[in-house]
Amino acid sequence: MSESSCYILDNGGYTAKVGFSNQEPKVVPNCIMKAKSERRRPFIGSQIDECRDASGLFYILPFQRGFLINWDTQKTVWDYMFSKECCPVNFSDTPLIITEPLFNFSSIQEAITEIFFEEYDCTSLLRINATDLAEYNYRKTHNNKCTVVVDSGYSFTYIVPYINGKKYRDGIRRIDVGGKVLTNHLKEVLSYRQLNVMDETYVINQAKEDSCFVSQDFMQDMAIAKKKGSENTIVKDYVLPDYTSIRRGYLRDIVKPDEDLEQQTLRLNNERFSIPELLFHPSDVGIPQMGIPEAIMHSIAACPEENTENLLENIVLYGGNVLFPGFRDRVYNEVRSLALDHFDVNVTKADNPVTYAWEGGKQIFRDPDFYSFCVTREEYEEEGKALAFERFDI
Amino acid sequence: MAGVRGRETDRRKVLDDAARKRRARKAVEALEQDNFHEDPHADLVMSKKVPKFAESNEKPTRKKKSKSAEYYKLRFRKTFAQLVEEDASFRPEPPNYMSAQVPPSKFPERHFCAVCGFPSNYTCIPCGARYCSVRCLGTHLDTRCLKWTA
Ligand SMILES: [Zn+2]
Ligand SMILES: [Zn+2]
Repeated sequence: MSESSCYILDNGGYTAKVGFSNQEPKVVPNCIMKAKSERRRPFIGSQIDECRDASGLFYILPFQRGFLINWDTQKTVWDYMFSKECCPVNFSDTPLIITEPLFNFSSIQEAITEIFFEEYDCTSLLRINATDLAEYNYRKTHNNKCTVVVDSGYSFTYIVPYINGKKYRDGIRRIDVGGKVLTNHLKEVLSYRQLNVMDETYVINQAKEDSCFVSQDFMQDMAIAKKKGSENTIVKDYVLPDYTSIRRGYLRDIVKPDEDLEQQTLRLNNERFSIPELLFHPSDVGIPQMGIPEAIMHSIAACPEENTENLLENIVLYGGNVLFPGFRDRVYNEVRSLALDHFDVNVTKADNPVTYAWEGGKQIFRDPDFYSFCVTREEYEEEGKALAFERFDI
Repeated sequence: MAGVRGRETDRRKVLDDAARKRRARKAVEALEQDNFHEDPHADLVMSKKVPKFAESNEKPTRKKKSKSAEYYKLRFRKTFAQLVEEDASFRPEPPNYMSAQVPPSKFPERHFCAVCGFPSNYTCIPCGARYCSVRCLGTHLDTRCLKWTA
């Protein structure tokens, strides 16, 4: 059997990337939100676009600490995603690829298998790590033997080495810093230094996305941020949305007091680069863990030595944090300085860091062996959940 | 009760090691929170119930009643802590979720002023927080230091 397209769901802890393999993916918030302005209406997934005033938004997330915990929320968001309102699908005639976190807990794995076969009438299911799809995507375009996949997402950052297309489990490293920690830290420092924004996760997350960058020389940028007047090229104001004329905040130069534009602003100075810096120095906020470049080296060192060269030559970065300007260059420069001189180092930033794994799903569906990776409904009914455990390398 | 008098009395107290560690742990836990605030209107009745989404295009192949979100909440109810514990018996040998966590960095720790975020050279004696200048120390003593108890 072979269908012309499959349905790919990269089910992230913050956004889900969803769509048919012959179309473009939609990026859907994987949550239910409630707004102060419309207290009686829950906004599910992309419905948040219909919310006029996003101040004081409150999220209800299916994921906690990177794992699917709140099943009622997830079921509601999935029902929305699979409906006409978002990206309708009939799983009885469309295979499904769904992603799961690395080392996903066994009862969550079982629950996903059960819900898709029994609730959503799935006929062919492939459960897979998002990093596997990203590696597949990279290998199809680079024809390489080994890859180091760096997935820097909402809940954490994973570094996963692959040798001959196979995940090398002993080399997998997790840093417990992701977009969530960065936004929480920005909220915390701004609330202490300027204005209480503790209930404005949504807006501050946008402020982070619009304002932050990865420093290439941290101490020098600190020195610049200390300067007064025009010599400080880092300090900016972030104009907060008011939901009448401004729907999304933006960064602007500081204006003189007499030309104050009467907009509510947050002053962003060293925050602009000390927030993403946590990905490189988690210990800056007391998380006793290595940063990304050091963790890449730690991961490679755990792999067979004969693969070191090939791994260093094929490092690929994806996930929402990779969008910070300067992210790739910083990773490259630090890995370069940590690696032995006679090795080449190549670091690739995914073209679209958010949908890179989803695009890998598209590629794997074209693999001649695709159906051998899946579990079919008949197999599930005959052999039960044990087969899914054997076949899927989560 | 800020101000000079408050400061003078505070100064005699010093946070012990355990309290400092507790405070540091709380700060890290706060950073890992998924939902900072409780649902402020959990008790409000939704005028629109969470909608029943129309079944996708074609008619269902099997006659079956779709189960509610609530059903799955009860069916798969397990906390993160339970799952971690369960995993210790399911995947007792590394590599597993616990073992994949990266160890501490070999590079020296850096220190930043708890008030302004710039590099700091000084440590507050009562609580161990870092500060960069007399001005920031003053702010720290007036606002945090021993003012909030962890
Ligand atoms: Zn300071
Ligand atoms: Zn203090």
